[in-house]
Amino acid sequence: MRCLTAVLAVLFATLVAGTGFAQGDTPKGLFLTTDYPSQTVRAGEVTTIRLKLTNAGLPPEPVALALKDVPAGWKIDILGGGQPVAAAMPGVNQDVGLQLRVEVPKDAKPGSSKVLISAKGPIAQSVELPLTLTVGTETPAKLSIKSRLPSLRGTPRSAFEYTITVGNDSGKDLTVALSAQGPANFQTTFTEGFGSNEISSIPIEAGQTKDIKVKVTPPRDVKAGDYPVLVKVASEGATAELRVTLQVSGQGRLALSTRDGRLSGEAEVGKSSTYTLVLANDGTAPIEEVEMSGTVPTNWKVEFNPKTIPSLAPNEKKDVAVVVTPADKAIAGDYVASFRANGRGESASADFRITVTTSTLWGIVGVGIIAVALLVLLGAVARFGRR
Amino acid sequence: MPRSAVRRAGSPFTGLRPVFMKELSDHLSSVRMLVLTLFVIVFGALPVGFALNDLRNVVVSDPYLFLRIFTVTPERVGLSFIEALNFIIPLMAIGLGFDSINSEFNRRTLSRVLSQPLYRDALLLGKFLGGLATLAVALVALWLIVLGAGLLLLGLPPRGVEVARGIGFLVVAIAYGGVWLAVAMLFSVIFRSTATSALCSLGLWLFFLILWPMIASVITVGFTPSQFTSIDQMVAVAELGQALERLSPNILFREAVVGLLNPETRSLGFMLPMQMRGAIPGAPLPLDQSLILIWPPLTGLIAGMIVLFTVAYIVFQREEVRA
Repeated sequence: MRCLTAVLAVLFATLVAGTGFAQGDTPKGLFLTTDYPSQTVRAGEVTTIRLKLTNAGLPPEPVALALKDVPAGWKIDILGGGQPVAAAMPGVNQDVGLQLRVEVPKDAKPGSSKVLISAKGPIAQSVELPLTLTVGTETPAKLSIKSRLPSLRGTPRSAFEYTITVGNDSGKDLTVALSAQGPANFQTTFTEGFGSNEISSIPIEAGQTKDIKVKVTPPRDVKAGDYPVLVKVASEGATAELRVTLQVSGQGRLALSTRDGRLSGEAEVGKSSTYTLVLANDGTAPIEEVEMSGTVPTNWKVEFNPKTIPSLAPNEKKDVAVVVTPADKAIAGDYVASFRANGRGESASADFRITVTTSTLWGIVGVGIIAVALLVLLGAVARFGRR
Repeated sequence: MPRSAVRRAGSPFTGLRPVFMKELSDHLSSVRMLVLTLFVIVFGALPVGFALNDLRNVVVSDPYLFLRIFTVTPERVGLSFIEALNFIIPLMAIGLGFDSINSEFNRRTLSRVLSQPLYRDALLLGKFLGGLATLAVALVALWLIVLGAGLLLLGLPPRGVEVARGIGFLVVAIAYGGVWLAVAMLFSVIFRSTATSALCSLGLWLFFLILWPMIASVITVGFTPSQFTSIDQMVAVAELGQALERLSPNILFREAVVGLLNPETRSLGFMLPMQMRGAIPGAPLPLDQSLILIWPPLTGLIAGMIVLFTVAYIVFQREEVRA
C-alpha cells in the first residue's frame, strides 16, 4: 500500500512538473482575446470590435460562442467571415477572427456597460471575455496631412513630385477624396506611394496613414516664380489641406529654323550662297552668348553673320545669315549641312539640305567643240567641195 | 590657181533632198532593214520583258520607276536594255552604212548618179543623213514600243521628267549610231570591196567593244608607279585610265546613258570619298544637272561623228570616180 502511494506520488509529481514546464514555455488552452477590451461606442451607430479565438496546443474541436449581459435595446451579433456565427473551430495553434457587431440604440444613455462573451468547448474547456463598452459622445472624424518636402525647385520642364502622408486619426475607416488647387494650367495627378495608377480617392483604415504622390506639371511657358498648390483631402465630415510650393526657375530654349520653315537651298560650286536662319528663344529666361557653328562637307566654307549673339530674350527672334561656299571640286547633288546654335546649357540644330549645281561653263565648251568640228567640215567643203 | 578654175558655182548641197529621200525609202523598204529591225526587236524585247517582269514585283516607291525599264538588269538575262543597245546600235549602223558608196561603184551606178545635176557633197551627205534618219526611225519606234509596254504592264504613266530624260536618251542613242554610221561610210569610201569594208567596220566595233578596255587598263598599269606617294598621283592615274577608255564611243555612250537614265548618278568620273562626305545618298540630280553631267560624252559623240564624216568626205572628194 505504501509502495503504491509512493508510486502515485512520483507519478503526480512528474505530471505536475511536466505541466508546469509546458505552461512556462507556451500557454496551452483556448483563448478569446481582443485588442481593446474597453471601448467607446456611440449611440445610434454600429461599431465593429475585432475578436480572436486562439487554440494553443489543443486538438481542434467546435467551440460554442455565446453572449451574456447584453444591455436592453442593444443588438450585438457575433460575426465570422461576415455572417452571424454560433460556434468556431480553430485548428491546432491557429486562431479564428471574429467580429462583434454592436448596434447601440439612439436613446442609449451615457455610461458603461459590461458584456460577457463566452466560448465553450465540448470537453469543459471554457473561456470568457468581459468587454466594457462605454457610450460616449461622438469623436469627430479627423484627417491629418503632411509632407516632408513641401517646397521643390525646378525648371518649367521638370516634374514636381511631392510625397504627402495622409493619416486617418478617427476611429472609423474612411475613404478620402484627393484634390488639388493650383494656378491655371497647372496639372496635378495623384498616384499611390509606389504605384503608377492615377487615383482620385483612397481608403484609409482607422488610425492608419498612407503615402500619396502628388505630381504637379507646370505649363511649359510658365514664368519664373513661386507657385503655391493647395492639396486637399476630404472625407465625410473631415478635411485637411496642405500648401506645397513650386519654385519655378526660368529656362531658355533655343529653336533654329528659317522664316518659312524650308530647310533646303541651292548653291553653285565654288560660289557662296546666303541663307537666312531664324534663331528664336521659346523659353522663359534669356539665353546669353549664343554661338553659331556649322558642319559642312569637306572643303566647304561656312560663315555666320553674326557669329555670336550676346543675349536673346524670351520670345525674341533673331535673323542669322549663313554663307555657304561649296568646295571648288564639289560634285553636283544634294548634301546635308547642319547648323547649330549653342547658348549656355542650351542648344538647337537644324539640318539643311543643299542642292549643289555645277556651272554651265563646260557645256559651252562642249558646244564650242562641236562648232570646231562643223568648221572643219565647212573648211573641207570649201577646199574639196562641189566636185 | 588651177583648182579655182575647176571649181564650179552654186550651192554644194543642190540635190541633197532627192538623194536623202531616195536613200531613206531604199533603206526602209529593203530586206536588210527588215532583218535588222527584227534582230533589234528580238534583242531588245528580251531584257525589257524580263525587266518589266521584275519591276512589277517591286513594292518600294520609286520616283523614276519608268527609267528603270531601261537600266534594270533582270536576274534571268543578265543584260539590261541599254547594255543590249550598246552593241545593237553599232551593228545596225554598220549594217546600214558599210556598202553605201562602194556598192554604187561595184554596180557602176555612181557615174550615172553623178551625171545628174548634183555634187558629190550632196550625194555623200544625203546618204549619211538618209542612214541616220533610218536609224532614228528604228530607234524611236523601239523607244515607243518600250514605253508602250511599260504603260501596259506597269499601269502607270511616266512623269514629264522621265519622258524628258527618255528623249535625251534617244538623242544620245542617235548620236552614237551616227558615229558608227560615219565609220561604216568611211570604210565604204576607202575600200572598193563591200566585204572588206564590212569586215573592217565590224573589226573596229569588236576592237572597241572587247579589246580597248583591256588595252586601256594595260596602259594604265604601265603608268602606275610601284607605290603611290600622294592622293593626287592616284587620282591622276585613275583619270588617265578613264581618259583612255573614253576614246571608245561605247564607253561614251554608256556614260551618257547612265547619267541620263540613272538620276542618282552624280559623277561619271573618279570620286574621292572625301567628296562624298555629307552627300545624301540616292538623292536624284535635277534634269539640268544631269544634262551638264552627260554633256561632255554627248558632245564627244556628236563631234566624233562630224569629224569622221569629214574624213570620209575628204577621201570621197579626192577619189577617181570614172572606173
